[in-house]
Amino acid sequence: MSRLSWIKTSLEVGVVTKKYPFERVEVPEAFRGLPEFDPSKCMGCTACANVCTPDAIRVVEDVNEGVRRLEYRVGKCIFCGRCADVCPTSAIKMSKEFELAYKDEVVYIIEIRLTNCPVCGKPFTTSRHLTHVSGKIYEEVLENINLCPDCRRRNNVNSIIRSAGAMR
Amino acid sequence: MSVYGKSIWVFHLNTGSCNSCDIEILDVLTPYHDVERFGIKLVASPRHADALLLTGPITRETLPKVIEALTAVPEPKLVIALGSCACGGGIWYDTYSTIGGLNELYRILKEEYGIVEPPTIKIPGCPPKPESIIYGVALALGVVKQKVTTTKVRVD
Repeated sequence: MSRLSWIKTSLEVGVVTKKYPFERVEVPEAFRGLPEFDPSKCMGCTACANVCTPDAIRVVEDVNEGVRRLEYRVGKCIFCGRCADVCPTSAIKMSKEFELAYKDEVVYIIEIRLTNCPVCGKPFTTSRHLTHVSGKIYEEVLENINLCPDCRRRNNVNSIIRSAGAMR
Repeated sequence: MSVYGKSIWVFHLNTGSCNSCDIEILDVLTPYHDVERFGIKLVASPRHADALLLTGPITRETLPKVIEALTAVPEPKLVIALGSCACGGGIWYDTYSTIGGLNELYRILKEEYGIVEPPTIKIPGCPPKPESIIYGVALALGVVKQKVTTTKVRVD
């Protein structure tokens, strides 16, 4: 192939360069971009934080403020989509957003108020979580659902002792 | 960032990356994406460069070399962190053999060498799309505006 025919080929092909930042680009159908959080659905179950490999999603419990805080850091995320897979209320969805460059640290925070135990008054979980769980367990254990784990244990032991005393 | 208004010459530094980010850099330099229309080209020495392009979570072995390269870049300098590993450690955030990302590097630089952190553009992704890299470069040049912002939502 002579050099002249190369010129001919390149003239036929024309310019292939994309004008990207000045025009929109389409991403593939299954592309996983920035995870989108729906605060109206999130119940603070920490499933996403448990599976997050790079620790981008972190759930911390702030007892002083009485909130459970979900923190998502864009810089750490590897966009694997495991959080969206495990979310029981599908509050996390992988969007197609890929223009994520940033200068200072970017954090997305959801704060969910904790409910207090009616016996000891200690905050232990979110009311949404309790509602979600109460639809899934047996009716026999539903009476203790509003108690914190410590009070629930004490309640159970007391009821066992009471029933044992009644037998004797 | 108007100091970088003209061509940015980039020195590419692999600090323990798995090579996928480096392959995306090659993608960006091909005629299809052609980042050279912004005047960007790779140079062989940090002394010729305006910007340092970091990929990888900065392993302990490469840390002295990274500091050496960073101090060799003349002012005004820019650091571009490419990929989740360089931005925040990625999946290596607590591994014994890496220092876990750029924030830790800046902490070491400040405490042990007294160097203030240079302006930084971070491009997350594992690896980032070529368009994503171009967006980061355009952000450095001031062509586009930053899209992601810190938000705080409080619900019951």
